[in-house]
Amino acid sequence: MTKRIAALLLLAALVAVPSAWAEAGKTLTIYNWTDYMPQSVLDEFTAETGIKVIYSTYDSNEAMFTKLKLMGGKGYDIVVPSTYFLSLMREQGLLAEIDPKGLTNFANLDPEVLNKPFDPENRYSIPYMWGSTGLMVNTAQVAPGTVTSWADLKRPELAGRILMSSDLRDGLGVALKALGHSMNTRDEAEIKAAYEWLLELKPAVRMFTSDGAKQVFAGEEAVVGLIFNGDASQIREEMPELEYVYPREGAMLWMDNLCIPAGAQNKEGAMLFIDFLLRPEIAARIAEEFRYTTPNKAAQALLPEELRNDPIVSPRPEDLVNSEFQTGVGDALPVYEKYWEMLKVAGD
Amino acid sequence: MHDGALFRRICILGVAAWLLVFALAPNAGLLVVSFLTRHPEDFVAPGLTLEAYGRLMDPTFAAIFWESVRLAALATLVCLLAGYPFAYGIARASRRWRPWLLLLVVVPFWTNSLIRTYAVILILKSRGVLSNLLEALGLTSGPVSLLYTDTAMFIGFTYTLLPFMVLPLFAAIEKLDRNLLDAARDLGAGSLRAFWNVTLPLTMPGILAGSMLVFLPALGMFYIPELLGGGKSMLLGNFIKNQMLLARDWPLGAAASTVLTVALAVMIVLWRLATLRARQDEDDDILTEGAP
Repeated sequence: MTKRIAALLLLAALVAVPSAWAEAGKTLTIYNWTDYMPQSVLDEFTAETGIKVIYSTYDSNEAMFTKLKLMGGKGYDIVVPSTYFLSLMREQGLLAEIDPKGLTNFANLDPEVLNKPFDPENRYSIPYMWGSTGLMVNTAQVAPGTVTSWADLKRPELAGRILMSSDLRDGLGVALKALGHSMNTRDEAEIKAAYEWLLELKPAVRMFTSDGAKQVFAGEEAVVGLIFNGDASQIREEMPELEYVYPREGAMLWMDNLCIPAGAQNKEGAMLFIDFLLRPEIAARIAEEFRYTTPNKAAQALLPEELRNDPIVSPRPEDLVNSEFQTGVGDALPVYEKYWEMLKVAGD
Repeated sequence: MHDGALFRRICILGVAAWLLVFALAPNAGLLVVSFLTRHPEDFVAPGLTLEAYGRLMDPTFAAIFWESVRLAALATLVCLLAGYPFAYGIARASRRWRPWLLLLVVVPFWTNSLIRTYAVILILKSRGVLSNLLEALGLTSGPVSLLYTDTAMFIGFTYTLLPFMVLPLFAAIEKLDRNLLDAARDLGAGSLRAFWNVTLPLTMPGILAGSMLVFLPALGMFYIPELLGGGKSMLLGNFIKNQMLLARDWPLGAAASTVLTVALAVMIVLWRLATLRARQDEDDDILTEGAP
């Protein structure tokens, strides 16, 4: 009996899926982070469904949000906001509801990353990849084991050789974590203390950059500083002396999520694409290329062994002690902005 | 003949329409936004107010403005010191060589300035072109890096903006009547004195024009300090971008942008007045010389 039902369901799926393709529009417009999806994945989707993909990229949540907002939630079928922008976009009615039941591969996702406060029951978002911002340490230049925490950035021998993030939430986040506060605090006194911590560190900082970390560490322009885990894993292929450290006070975590804007023209196509990305072999291929952590449990099992056992790509629970996900700070954002400006204005 | 007039009219109309749509309209929009009320969701709300300008009156913004002006002024000075001998050399080169030398000054313009900034990074970085050259010559024992220093920043500014300085200077120096220099020599002036009393005043319009053309873009060019200088300070461009995107405080960002535009406009007016005065003085001189 169950076999027959399964066979019927399979048959229904075979009939239903191609008809869904026929109904879905002929193009899918995707707006994603730079360097975040292999071209081969897009090509394969087009070959399979006949849906042409128009792909464009952004380098900050803010840029994506402003553009979508100005166009009234139209113009794109898929966007990939980080957790701390998700709640904001959801509250402002920029996102369309997603029915997880319409995704055949939804069950592949790790329950650990689902049903989070920024999107209860995942009614608006499907996790794409997540990762951490931690410390990169060049062990050829810095004695191994001496830098294990954010607070260690203040060690005198590192002066002038530190990379700091040019993103104000990351920059102040480091100081907040070092001081034992939450990186998502809305308490002005804590943000001010973080500013003072950074002010003291500033003379030791060589450069503020967010997207240039790989080049900076490859050229040994800096020997210690912030980096995304994916970048860290990629660069270690060339320079194994570069070590990725989960700081003792906790790394800064983020997750990017597939969403469908409220004004999307091709919502069916978007659902097909999300379902396509949730396939274990596709999710694994993406994670293998960009070295971030896949929320797809079935994909994790398909990763090459060295990535599966690499705590940079597949963090163990003990790596993430004290770590927190970055969330929106609401009205406190101008306070962060104010202290960041004061930090930048201050002379060495 | 008629066709030529038509063609000219279409060209002028095209340029005017372009400026109207892509320069005047956005700036007018910013001006309006700067007087509107801040709205956390829709960026701006109706209701005219001077509140954004009031919020600009704070020491942090003053420091950002001052730092931008200081960097742009220093960049202009460096460009002038490098560009003057450069333009002088071209102007004194033989007639056959001059167009080619000028072409070489202009060619880099064909590449986007951001891409050229990345090229500077490749040269200055540790184990980059310069570092390897110095090591190969035995001048340094290990890799050196100039990147993320003030020096790197001014190299970037000079490289990007030098043509704006050289071209007006060249035009001014080329026009210079060499008989005047010979006359100065005959009257006993040394070459330094002749330069100071004759060449410099006569090429002043070129110096002013070149300085304006370098100073104005330098004021808004925040990516060079960011990419080459290490982004350790905040400049006007960063401030405006942060207000627009990050803090989503459009009136404040628009007000800062308007202040910058007005400051630039005032400088252009002052420069026009200065050149007009210089021309008048010249005419006066000729008149007095002509008088018996």
